Amino acid sequence: MSSRIPVLELEDVSVAYDTHNGPVQAVNRVNLKVYQEEIVGLVGESGSGKSTLAYAIMRLLKGAAFLQNGTIKVMGRDIYAMSPKELQAFRWAQMSMVFQSAMSALNPVMTVEQQFIDTLRSHNKQMTLEQCRMRAAELMDLVRIDPKYLASYPHQLSGGMRQRVVIAIAIALEPAFVIMDEPTTALDVVVQRSILDQIQAIQRKVHFAVLFISHDFSLVAELAQRVAIMYAGRMVEVADSGALTQSENHHPYTEGLLRAIPKLTADEIVIEGIPGHPPDLVSLPSGCAFHPRCPYVTDECRQQRPSLYEVGTSEVECHRYAGEKVVQHV
Amino acid sequence: MSSPVMQKNALAVGQPMVQVEDLVVRFPIRSGVRKAWITPVDHVNFTIGRGEVLALVGESGSGKTTIGKALMRIVEPSAGKIVVGGKDITHIKGRSLADYREDAQMIFQDPFGSLNAVKTVEQHLYFPLKKHRQLRGDDLYIKAGELLELVGLTPVRETRIKFPNELSGGQRQRVAIARALAVDPKFLVADEPISMLDVSIRAGVLKLMNQLKDDFKLSYLYITHDLASARYFGDRIMVMYGGQIMETADSRELIRRPTHPYTKLLLAATPGNPIREKLPETSNLAPNLLEGRTGCVFASRCPLVTDRCRDEMPKLTLLETGHSAACHYAS
Repeated sequence: MSSRIPVLELEDVSVAYDTHNGPVQAVNRVNLKVYQEEIVGLVGESGSGKSTLAYAIMRLLKGAAFLQNGTIKVMGRDIYAMSPKELQAFRWAQMSMVFQSAMSALNPVMTVEQQFIDTLRSHNKQMTLEQCRMRAAELMDLVRIDPKYLASYPHQLSGGMRQRVVIAIAIALEPAFVIMDEPTTALDVVVQRSILDQIQAIQRKVHFAVLFISHDFSLVAELAQRVAIMYAGRMVEVADSGALTQSENHHPYTEGLLRAIPKLTADEIVIEGIPGHPPDLVSLPSGCAFHPRCPYVTDECRQQRPSLYEVGTSEVECHRYAGEKVVQHV
Repeated sequence: MSSPVMQKNALAVGQPMVQVEDLVVRFPIRSGVRKAWITPVDHVNFTIGRGEVLALVGESGSGKTTIGKALMRIVEPSAGKIVVGGKDITHIKGRSLADYREDAQMIFQDPFGSLNAVKTVEQHLYFPLKKHRQLRGDDLYIKAGELLELVGLTPVRETRIKFPNELSGGQRQRVAIARALAVDPKFLVADEPISMLDVSIRAGVLKLMNQLKDDFKLSYLYITHDLASARYFGDRIMVMYGGQIMETADSRELIRRPTHPYTKLLLAATPGNPIREKLPETSNLAPNLLEGRTGCVFASRCPLVTDRCRDEMPKLTLLETGHSAACHYAS
C-alpha cells in the first residue's frame, strides 16, 4: 500500500457549522487517503456529513460552515493554503466534482457545447474555439452520447444523458481526482447501472481517482475498491469492499447495515433494522456516537470515543477491537 | 382489530380482495387542435388476494404510481373495471367514495410532505378516528394510543404530542402508517414507502408492514423500483413498462427465472446481484406512451427485437401456473 501515491489525504479533518449555540460538528476528525486510480466509496445516511466532507475537500464550504481542524491535501498540495488564484487554477484541473442533481448543475440557458467551451477556456485561454469543439465532441464520445447533442439545451436531454454530460464536464480537464456526490440517485436502476459501468470504463481509460458518495451500500460495494462508512460525522470504518460480503469484523453500524439490506437472491430473506434513529448533530451522544443504537454497548462506549483499530484489512472505530493495533495516521 | 368495518362486506371465500380488469388511464397532454393523449396505464389486468402483497415494479414513467392512484380513486379510470372487496369502485363518487376510503388507504412516498406540519401526531390520528369510526373522548384517546403502540412509536405518551418536525423520517412514516390503519382498512396502497428513508431505518418499516399484513390479513399493492425489497415484501411481483404488464410471477420465481427481456435487464442492473454481466441493452430511450403506438412497448430497447415485435403487441400469456409474460419469445 505504501508504494501507492495518494491523491487525496485527509488528516484529522473537522468541519463545523456556526449556530446560535456554538459550532456544530458535521465532520468530526476524519482521516482518509484515496490513492491514484482508486475508487473509494463514501457511505452514510442523511446528515452523516458525507456531502459536507465533499464540499470541504473542494473548498466550497459556504455560509456558516467552516473547516475547523485538520488538513486536506490533493496531489500533495494543501487546498486551504492556496491563494484564491491558485485555487481557481487548481480546482477542476486537478480535482473536480460531479454534483447530485444534474439538472441544476447545468446552465439551462446555454447549450451543452457552450458549457464545455466555458470550462475548457476558463483554464486554458490559448485554446481555440475549434480545439474546444473537438475536445467537447471527444468527451461526448467518451460518455457515449452522440456529439450531435452538443447543440442541445439541457432540458432537451434525458436525466441519464444530463448526468453523463455533467460527468464529461467534470473530466474535461483530465483531473487526477473526481468527487462524485450521489451522481445516480435520481435515476432509474437501469440508467444508473449503465452510468456506473461507464464511469468504470472511462476510469480505466483515462485514469483518475474517485471518491464516490452514496447512501446505497450494495451499489458502492460493487463499484469501489474500498468503502468508507460515516456515521454522525465520524468515519467509523474503512473496509475493502470484498470484506463487506462477510458479516464479521466490522463496526456494529456496518454490521447493522449489512443486515438491513434485503438480499435479492437469497432463498429466505431475513432483514433486521437498526433500532433507534441517526442522532441529531446538535446533541450528539457522549463517547461513541453509535452507542444508543449499538447491541454491544458497554460503559466505556458511553464515556469515551473509541480509537481507530486495525481489524484484518479494515480500520474500525470501535471499542470491541481494543485488543488490535491502533491505526496511526501520520 | 376485528371490527364491524371488517365484517361490513364480508368476502366470499376465494374471491380476491382487488380485481382489476382491462384498466386504462389516459391523460391529455396537449389541448386544442393538436390534442393528444398518453396512456400511462394501458389495458392492465391483475388481482390481489386477501392478505397478499403484490409488488409493482418498474421505472419512473412506467405507470405504477398511476395504477396506485386509480386503485385509491385519486384518479378516475378511463376504461376498465376495479372491484375492491366485492364492490365496483371504478366510477363511484361522493358518499360512496368517502366510504370506500374506509376499506382502502394509501401510504405515500414522502413522509415529510404527507403529514401536516402544524398538527401533532395524535391529531393526525384523531381525524380519521372521529370521521370514520365515530370515536370520542376516552375511546379516541385510547385508540390513538393503541395505534401508536402498534406501529412501534413508543413511548406513546411522549410521541403523541410531538409535531412532525420533531420526528425522524422513519418515525414519520410510522405515523403515516398508523393514520392509514386508523380506519381499519383491508387494502393498502404503499407507494415507495421506504425510498426516502435512511437505509438503517428502511428494514424496520418494511418489517412493520409485513407484521401488519400477517396480524390483520391486509392486502397490499406495494409500489417500488427496488427489486430486492419487492422480493422481500411481495408475495408476487408484477413488472411494468410503458403502462403495460411485462411479467408477473411469484416473487421468488420471478427473481430466479425471469423470462421477459425487461425483467432480465432490471435484474442485471440491480446492485447486489451476484451475477454481474454486461447490460443487454440497445438504448436508453423512454417508452412511447402516446396513443396509437404499435408493437411491443419495449421493442426500442430490447436486445432480442424482431420485426414481429415492432408490428404486433405481445399479449400477457400464461407460461406456467402463476407465471405470465408479455413477450413473443418468452418461454
